[in-house]
Amino acid sequence: MEQAKKKKYLVNFEPSGLKIEVPKETTLLEAARKAGIYLTSICGGDGYCGKCKVTIDRGQFQSRPTTLLTTDEISKNVVLACQTKILSDMTVTVPASHTLQASQILTDTDAGSKLADKTEGVFKFDPLVRKICLQMSPPTVSDHTADHERLCTAIREQIDAPIMQTGLRVLKALSALLVEADYKVAATIARRGGTAEVLEVEQGCRCKTNFAVAVDLGTTTVVAHLLDLTTGSTIDTEAVYNSQINFGEDYIRRIMYAEENDAFDEMQNRAVSDINNLIATLASRQKIDLHDITAIVCSGNTAMIHFLLNLDPTRIRREPYVASAGSVPPIRAAEIGLRINKRGLLYCLPGVAAYVGSDIVAGVLATRMYTKKTVSLLVDIGTNGEIVLGNSDWLVCASSSAGPAFEGSGVKHGTRAGAGAIEKLSILPDGSVEFKTIGNTHPVGLCGSGLLDTLAELFAAGIIDRTGRFQPKGDKRLTEGDEGQQFQLVPSDSEHQEIVITQPDINNLVRSKAGVFAAIRVLMESTQTRPEDLDAIYLAGGFGNFLNVKQAVTIGMLPDVPIEKIQFVGNTSIAGAKTVLLSRKALDTAEKIAESMTYFDLMSHPGYMDEFIKAGFLPHTDLSLFPSVKNPPTKTL
Amino acid sequence: MPVPEVLESFAGSVNRITLGSTKDTGGSRTSTITVGGARNVVYAGSAEDAGEKPVIAIDIMDVPPEDWPDILIEPYKDVIKNPADWAKKAVNEFGADLICVKFDGIHPDKANKDAAAAVKVTEDVLKAVGVPLILWGCGNNEKDNQIIPKISEAAKGQNCLLGAAEQDNYKSITAVALADGHNLITEAPLDINIGKQVNILVSDMGFPLEKIVTFQDTGALGYGIEYSYSIQERQRLAALAGDKMMAMPAICDVGYEAWRVKEARLADAPGWGNVEDRGPMWEAATAICLLQAGADIIRMRHPRAVAAVKNFINQIWKRVSA
Repeated sequence: MEQAKKKKYLVNFEPSGLKIEVPKETTLLEAARKAGIYLTSICGGDGYCGKCKVTIDRGQFQSRPTTLLTTDEISKNVVLACQTKILSDMTVTVPASHTLQASQILTDTDAGSKLADKTEGVFKFDPLVRKICLQMSPPTVSDHTADHERLCTAIREQIDAPIMQTGLRVLKALSALLVEADYKVAATIARRGGTAEVLEVEQGCRCKTNFAVAVDLGTTTVVAHLLDLTTGSTIDTEAVYNSQINFGEDYIRRIMYAEENDAFDEMQNRAVSDINNLIATLASRQKIDLHDITAIVCSGNTAMIHFLLNLDPTRIRREPYVASAGSVPPIRAAEIGLRINKRGLLYCLPGVAAYVGSDIVAGVLATRMYTKKTVSLLVDIGTNGEIVLGNSDWLVCASSSAGPAFEGSGVKHGTRAGAGAIEKLSILPDGSVEFKTIGNTHPVGLCGSGLLDTLAELFAAGIIDRTGRFQPKGDKRLTEGDEGQQFQLVPSDSEHQEIVITQPDINNLVRSKAGVFAAIRVLMESTQTRPEDLDAIYLAGGFGNFLNVKQAVTIGMLPDVPIEKIQFVGNTSIAGAKTVLLSRKALDTAEKIAESMTYFDLMSHPGYMDEFIKAGFLPHTDLSLFPSVKNPPTKTL
Repeated sequence: MPVPEVLESFAGSVNRITLGSTKDTGGSRTSTITVGGARNVVYAGSAEDAGEKPVIAIDIMDVPPEDWPDILIEPYKDVIKNPADWAKKAVNEFGADLICVKFDGIHPDKANKDAAAAVKVTEDVLKAVGVPLILWGCGNNEKDNQIIPKISEAAKGQNCLLGAAEQDNYKSITAVALADGHNLITEAPLDINIGKQVNILVSDMGFPLEKIVTFQDTGALGYGIEYSYSIQERQRLAALAGDKMMAMPAICDVGYEAWRVKEARLADAPGWGNVEDRGPMWEAATAICLLQAGADIIRMRHPRAVAAVKNFINQIWKRVSA
């Protein structure tokens, strides 16, 4: 009742000009969410991450005091959106740092696409959905086979389809259509396991217009590739930030948010609308009718797939960490509101466990590690770090809560791999910092590969010690900031702010790499795999376009093997999804991979914490594991 | 099939370290102490494998202790206000192999003594006794970094053992130990990995590994001794396996830990037996247990406990000294 009586105020968000009316005392973060404006918020509104800063230009508000704002910011009416209640109509400026620039997200990398090409060669081109042109002879007195059987026979003449299925809706319209088309039609056939479903029958010969979309539904970004199913080629790619980010930057927070606010439908809506927007963008850019997109293959971590399908994800975060479904049968995409062909199908790749999702199965498929006699290691750094080790006989996997540091979250000047992100950084012998940004624009922050470089270079230059602590060396760039000591990497100028790396940033990065390496160690120890047994290491993830794999060894994130054995493979989740889309055999294989992978729960593993502490050192407490990493310069006393 | 050889032998050994410096080497100690050298676990292997006999360092405090129970003050009550006399008594009457001067008095929350006071204590004790010294700070990083360099300088050339370098505060003490020619204690909070990390950090600063003694933190009997035991044991096994970063002799702080527990302190507990026996027994039992895990230097307090532990050491290591 009280809620209903509350006065409503109009909030105007600049520079987008979006407006929203909300009840008095709504928080600005909530209002932004409702208006569809993305504000970075790692803590999901708990008021401790300090990322959701906005400036109030006009209007009354009430803010809880916080130490996350400088006095300068307070004097300029900068507030934390999640800690600020709306008390009147107001105008708010959202800083550019929050703005989503979807076109800047990496949709794929060169390495990733090369990988997909190689994989395509392994599987026979046999897409999940095909359109075939059928020319049947019309029935006669001597050939009075029913229309449906006549259709099935004609289909079987062209493709292998022992078991077939046709929906009532298609059947009902079939006879009239065949007669009208003089038994010359195009049939869309989709694979559902061993069954071939007649999705649609159309007049004429429209079999050259068959498209599908592969989607990597990530916690942070959603990537879509549009494929021509008649040729197997990728026509276009697009990506957006996952709009669930407002509910927390990692999926555990989002599950908690959804539970507390009964927002499961909202979560599903966000995922569905993100995918719909991507598909709509791709279709309009390529001038393709949505009706001609007949399938979507989606890979993602277990929680994201649950959100998409509105399956109960709550037990993923509670002991014993169970998913509602690992493998999901194909469903009608329209059933969850995805806008493609009304009868088009959504295939979700199978996952392994609550914390090892189908994105990792896709990675195993894309890297083809399951086909090799020799042992390889796949390390996928996302919001979690997932590790797979194995060969054609066995596969083991684990997930370490590495944290999103290498995605640029939880790092003061961290950013995702978009324009202006520093993707390469080196410290020259004279101590000066050299860097390169994506798009060669003004630096806005550090993305994954830039952070990796930064950590490795600070260590190699002796600016941080083996624990990651800054060494007091009288360097003027080392100052005391709000969060403790910080090192200036890029000084500010008229075009951009200064970029620093803080002690907590470094601690986060070291923890991340320690989590990843500890997981690798547990899997290697458990399977008695020695570093020299590793034939290949695939490093996957949205680090940036370019990644210096040597640096990953320098900081002790990857085992010290000859550098040529380590390959940066980019987004393997989308590469795997595309492979499946283009070959139904690959989908079967993905199911088999998911079934055959043995999941190691690190949290209950007795050796994991020990390995984690050992790995929380640069490069590692056991220096003999990293013979190629040189000692940092000895400090002169 | 022949019975396989079951006697284990190891590739590595614990470093030998000599504390103290006599006139010949530029110091003023009348004796030195050498510890370490074990090539096997305690009790195992040949007599030579046992290495040097473990030693006992008796604690003396730079200011009179405020929280010691009466039973522990009793043997020292005549000297407790005078560190030099206290040290003399500990050596002459109670047989201390070394003296550990614990500078609790410099702690800002305690007596907050300044450098001059700490230096005077150091000089007085150096004059009073001829055994090697352990000089150990108060645990407050800021104050230790301010005072320990002065203490170290006052004892320059005496080849003392300085405590303690920790993961988040190792640079200052490592630098002064190196400059003044002392040995160094590296401390870790009951975590073998961090223990090793501190050793790597100080060696990265150029500090020689063979001048390090590790302190893995100690738990008293009934209060976490199993953690200490297993860490000392793991450290010994790592040393025997050839891990140079873990091949240091180990020190345990039994006196402080044993005299913290209520079973050692509480006078009014008739069901627990005589308070005069309880504390010394608790301290001795803790020490003996950790000696079996592989400790090389034991810090102790009560003379009766010291006597019992010396007796134990002499019996176990008899065959070596014989």
